[in-house]
Amino acid sequence: MLIQNTNPDYDAIVVGSGMTGGWAAKELTELGLRTLVLEAGRPISPEKDAAEHVQPWEMRFRGMGDRRHVESRQRMQRNSVSFDELSHRYWTDDVDNPYTTPADKPFHWFRARQEGGKSLIWGRQVYRWSDLDFEANQRDSIAVDWPIRYRDLAPWYDRVERFIGVSGRAEGLAHLPDGPFLPPMDFSCVEEHVRERIAARFGGERLMTIGRVAVLTEALNGRAPCHYCGPCHRGCITRSYFSSVNATLPAARATGRLTLRPFSIVRSLVLDPRSNRVSGVQVIDAQTRAERTYTARVVFLCASAIESARILLNSRSAKFPDGLANASGQVGRNIMDHIKWGGASGEMEGWSDKRTVGARPNGIYVPRFRNVGSKHPDFIRGYGFQGGANRAGWQGSARAPGIGLDFKRRLSTLGPWSMTFGGFGEMLPREENRATVHPTRVDAWGIPVLHIDCSWGPNELALYRDMNVTAAELLEAAGARNIRPDARGPSTPGNTNHEMGTARMGRDPRTSVLNQWNQAWDIPNLFLTDGACMTSSANQNPSLTYMALTARACHHAVAELKRGAL
Amino acid sequence: MERRELLRWLAATAGLAALEGLAPDDLLALGREVHAHGASRSTLSPAVTRAVTAAAERILPASDTPGATDAGVPGFIDRMLADWFNSDERAGFLAGIPELDRRSRARSGRDFADSPETDQIAVLTALDDELTALRRAGRAVEANRHWFGMLKYLTVWGYFTSEPAARILLGTFPLPGRFDGCAPYQAPA
Repeated sequence: MLIQNTNPDYDAIVVGSGMTGGWAAKELTELGLRTLVLEAGRPISPEKDAAEHVQPWEMRFRGMGDRRHVESRQRMQRNSVSFDELSHRYWTDDVDNPYTTPADKPFHWFRARQEGGKSLIWGRQVYRWSDLDFEANQRDSIAVDWPIRYRDLAPWYDRVERFIGVSGRAEGLAHLPDGPFLPPMDFSCVEEHVRERIAARFGGERLMTIGRVAVLTEALNGRAPCHYCGPCHRGCITRSYFSSVNATLPAARATGRLTLRPFSIVRSLVLDPRSNRVSGVQVIDAQTRAERTYTARVVFLCASAIESARILLNSRSAKFPDGLANASGQVGRNIMDHIKWGGASGEMEGWSDKRTVGARPNGIYVPRFRNVGSKHPDFIRGYGFQGGANRAGWQGSARAPGIGLDFKRRLSTLGPWSMTFGGFGEMLPREENRATVHPTRVDAWGIPVLHIDCSWGPNELALYRDMNVTAAELLEAAGARNIRPDARGPSTPGNTNHEMGTARMGRDPRTSVLNQWNQAWDIPNLFLTDGACMTSSANQNPSLTYMALTARACHHAVAELKRGAL
Repeated sequence: MERRELLRWLAATAGLAALEGLAPDDLLALGREVHAHGASRSTLSPAVTRAVTAAAERILPASDTPGATDAGVPGFIDRMLADWFNSDERAGFLAGIPELDRRSRARSGRDFADSPETDQIAVLTALDDELTALRRAGRAVEANRHWFGMLKYLTVWGYFTSEPAARILLGTFPLPGRFDGCAPYQAPA
């Protein structure tokens, strides 16, 4: 069926209303485009949905979670670190949204289908890349080269950080560039001590700073600074942490050019083979199952990394039998996540007359120090540490021996201080780590689901083992006692929720899906800016980079549209 | 931080602009109606409730600070058994609780709830020691599934997530308004 695009429904369609969809909506509407955002799930408003002030005694299960619901409907999503009794509503129903993996290769694929997507529940840590990261594939002769360098993205990092508000401390590190930071959050006294001891022991080679976090420490654009109530992932009535719901979607709405349709699941994109353009987006209404196609002059895919790849793979045509924009065969391939659960913790003697007041939505950060100056013999690339110091509360002693008044007193007393470092490690792209369309299974709306085949490689495992070693070294330098490495073994791939790489950028259409503008090689009006576009993974939390790439791609897309190239 | 303080703080930081249209007094209440829940079924018979109440109070007694009864622990245990545990776990718990009365009668001829405090402490301490022995033998999963392990854990959880405990004993600050990384701390006496 030929779809005439002489009078499209909208100037732009954005698939997804989360981290990158929200930025696409903001930029495209501010640049004058009438924009339709298609969101698979329900609408969200802080005034109705925010639950961060609900106290434990007001929760039905006092924080133990709705076990029966979770065990029947969210057996996979419950593995996410911020999944809890009040936030679980922000993760999908696993029964309606299944996927498969090989039996010996578990993969945690977390999805968040509602307005705001995973920007409602993310960890809010934001770190820039440098050319140490952008040049890595070329330097190591691995996969393909990034088609951009730091200087291409730097102005867009500035733009994004200024808008979302990032609290942090400038450290002058070439491989972790500073930005226009709001005032940094404070260390605890123990963390201050640890920072000083690390500086003294390691000089500049290893340093500990406060986390760079997308939480306001000053008012910004009508959003209030954080009041340290704690659980951002449950909601934020003061809009203090960045999510698309708190910041970018309101900005888009303010232009009067945004239409956001919730309950709109994108099944596939429609290609007009004569013009090599996406002519429409096929949508199934999540509630009524009614189907319709929306048309636009330009389409931004921002459905989250693996979901965007799924949409492309499910958009087959004579011209693209392996999926839209998949002439290279790379769509769905090169899945990367960050390897975690390496690190250590130890007891810090002293400060028994000190505590923290307020729940700081941030921790400490130790930037990558491996393979920065000298080459490590066992692995390439590197990892950063997050973590912090705290005193154990009653939960730590809930199974301790004892009854009676002394037991009550012990549980009511804060335990000794402990300091923890947990690593986030880079993963190399490998073609065999891939998502493919399942031959028979479909989701609750009849859309074919994915089979995800992904496992850590030897470089990740060597890098992960090093985390335990160096975390112990940092703790030793700090004077910690009873140092215990993290004994969990490497994280399950996907668990970090930094999955990316499934429609990578590159310099050559034979080996990549997108060009330097996040534009599909063969389809000029199709852009993809979520984690799928990533050519390598670095070790830094990636959402900031996704947002910067999105803003940059939007400005390019609109310029191209205006000169008639799309 | 009390309600009035929060509103003063928000006004001072010009954060209220983000919340136009909201009645200020509703700020602290936001989200709570959404998450309010109705009453649960009751699982515990009067006899079991008596024993559970007496045991919970002995595990975390009232002193100059609230105890388990003040904190509503028995009702919490009842609701969790009805709505959270599965039928096997519930059956195991209900089969185990009469052991409190059996052991008390062996000591003093009276049911657990009617026994003198010293006898109650002796019965519970012996049970607690059995849990400790299991843990030392590397059988922590069994200890956690043991009916007394369940009772004690639910007592602790129900107590420390209760409003009386949070407000009085732990000095929790639901809405502190600031982060102080080096505040003074004094352990309870």
